[in-house]
Amino acid sequence: MTEASSSPPAGLFHRLFIANRGEVAARVARACSHLGITPVFGVSEADADAAYCADHERVVLGPGRSAQSYLDPERLVQAAVQTGCTALHPGWGFLAESPRFAALTEAHGVTFLGPPAAAMLLMGKKTPAKRAMGKAGLTLIPGSEGVLADVDEARAVAEEVGYPVLLKAESGGGGRGMRIARSADEIERAFAEASGESLAAFGDDRLYLEKLVERGRHVEIQLLADKYGNVVHLGLRDCTVQRNHQKLIEESPAPLLDDAERERTLAAAIEATRAIGYVGAGTMELLQDKDGTLRFMEMNTRLQVEHTVSEMRAKAHGQPIDLVEQQIRVGAGQPLAFTQDDIVLEGAAIECRINAEDPSDDFRPAPGKLTKFELPEGEGVRVDTHAAPDYVVPPFYDSLLCKVITWGKDRDEAIERMIGALEGLTIEGVPTTASMHLAILRSEAFRTSAYDTGGIPGWPADADGTADAAKENG
Amino acid sequence: MSESLVARAEAKDGLFLLRPPTVGLWREAPRKGSLVTPGAPIGAIEVLGQRIPLFAPHDAAGIVTEVFDEGRARSPVDYATVLLRLDPEGAGEAVAATAAAGDAAEGGLVFASPMSGRFYAKPSPDQPAFLKVGDVVETGQAVCLLEVMKTFNRVTYGGPGLPARAKVAAIVPADGDDIDEGAPILRLEEA
Repeated sequence: MTEASSSPPAGLFHRLFIANRGEVAARVARACSHLGITPVFGVSEADADAAYCADHERVVLGPGRSAQSYLDPERLVQAAVQTGCTALHPGWGFLAESPRFAALTEAHGVTFLGPPAAAMLLMGKKTPAKRAMGKAGLTLIPGSEGVLADVDEARAVAEEVGYPVLLKAESGGGGRGMRIARSADEIERAFAEASGESLAAFGDDRLYLEKLVERGRHVEIQLLADKYGNVVHLGLRDCTVQRNHQKLIEESPAPLLDDAERERTLAAAIEATRAIGYVGAGTMELLQDKDGTLRFMEMNTRLQVEHTVSEMRAKAHGQPIDLVEQQIRVGAGQPLAFTQDDIVLEGAAIECRINAEDPSDDFRPAPGKLTKFELPEGEGVRVDTHAAPDYVVPPFYDSLLCKVITWGKDRDEAIERMIGALEGLTIEGVPTTASMHLAILRSEAFRTSAYDTGGIPGWPADADGTADAAKENG
Repeated sequence: MSESLVARAEAKDGLFLLRPPTVGLWREAPRKGSLVTPGAPIGAIEVLGQRIPLFAPHDAAGIVTEVFDEGRARSPVDYATVLLRLDPEGAGEAVAATAAAGDAAEGGLVFASPMSGRFYAKPSPDQPAFLKVGDVVETGQAVCLLEVMKTFNRVTYGGPGLPARAKVAAIVPADGDDIDEGAPILRLEEA
């Protein structure tokens, strides 16, 4: 990676602080380079010598533990200020959805590249968020009124909405801090585990509760808003293929969706986004139930890992839309340069998250050194990564190694290209989830979209290589 | 925000290297040639406009041989910046070197960590520990939680060379410690 030699266009930031790590930081830095902005990386001691930030300005925030580095608002803002940055990109994960962090950043004269802290606070509080979304016409999932005071309240709400229920982290995202309780005697353990994991992952152990909608599909809308009330969507993504609520594969467009239901929901989502004064990139997560109704789950007030599949399809005025670039422009006060009518969504795109986990050993996370790391190339293939040969995967953070994204004129072509790309991906030194992805992609259930959140299509693979999706989804 | 900060010391090539525990603007640095004693003030760090006094740690002292960014009123520093180099020779009273924790394996049985991660002795903060010294542990029994990449993994007792039942003589890591793969978790005795 090389430093941008040109200056940014008038009105944009000259120096931008990246309050994140790994693939996220590398992604934000790439957009900075396109715009002629100098990125400054806030890094932990564990990441200080990693290749992805080697040629860039860095500030060492603290030790490897996130609590004293990527999760410490004071360190991050001070680092941004003392390096002369006028904007801060929180990425996704860590403090990206902390209204306090957003407010602290702005209070010290640094533009927070995300929605206003107030909009973030509203969406972070589940009951007000649901109320606002319901008012704008989105259909809701029954659950608790805000955060749960204790396990007794969880039990009471569960009785009211009926088991099975899902306990979710108030500050959550990415599937961390969630547990299912199928009956009253499971709720205590689910509560303890979810709150413990939430505290470790997000620094907040508060939980809320929703009725578990089983056999649904996970669908979400990519939204983008400027400071002047202009809101557009970049279509829907389907993220139904998950393991323990961790997304594995995401695709766009969302298959199996009724046209009328899609249009109704997109219109309501845009209206809701405008109504709460939202600015920047955001995502509405929805659950498509067995009847095909899309129900609002939550709004993620940040960019998401899988924003790439929307980017692969979206063009405005014949140019690809880079969502990080749009966040930066909108943050600098520019109006969106396109309307919904200017946006064209072409073909189909799919993303596979390749993690350093061992699928043959219950997906045990496997930190270690990459002795070999060769990435696929080809038409319609994109790889987002921070890793490189000899990179040492630290034990402190999540296990994502790279994201492989492919585009095709239709879903079949995108899948075929993904299979080719994953066959060309060579990673040695740590086990990866690539083999699982190939099994899923080759399965009949995945190819025909005959699956739901109740199981992973084509995984685990049977001894004869055929999928047992029928059993999973029976 | 903290009311005071303590620098981190590293012993290297016969010198002590002092680094800040956080990011900020360092000011009021001691002069080259001055003596820094354990716990002595070594200036202050400004974090978000607030001045926080900075002190030398209790295990390092010496004559200042080098000052980071010498002569500037305020210097931006980060966690990795070496603020001061101290020469303990001639610092008067000798500074006790930090003795490596006596980790002499007493030749007994050890249950080692299957992976690196953060050690938790309890299933959740308000519950009792999985094991205490004197307990008898059996194959398959939960020993601890290990947080690896933000995921909690339940570690169970067992493995080659270990008896099916053993008595816990010591639990090596403290709750919340980061431990490496292969690091001892339990020291064991015949049950």
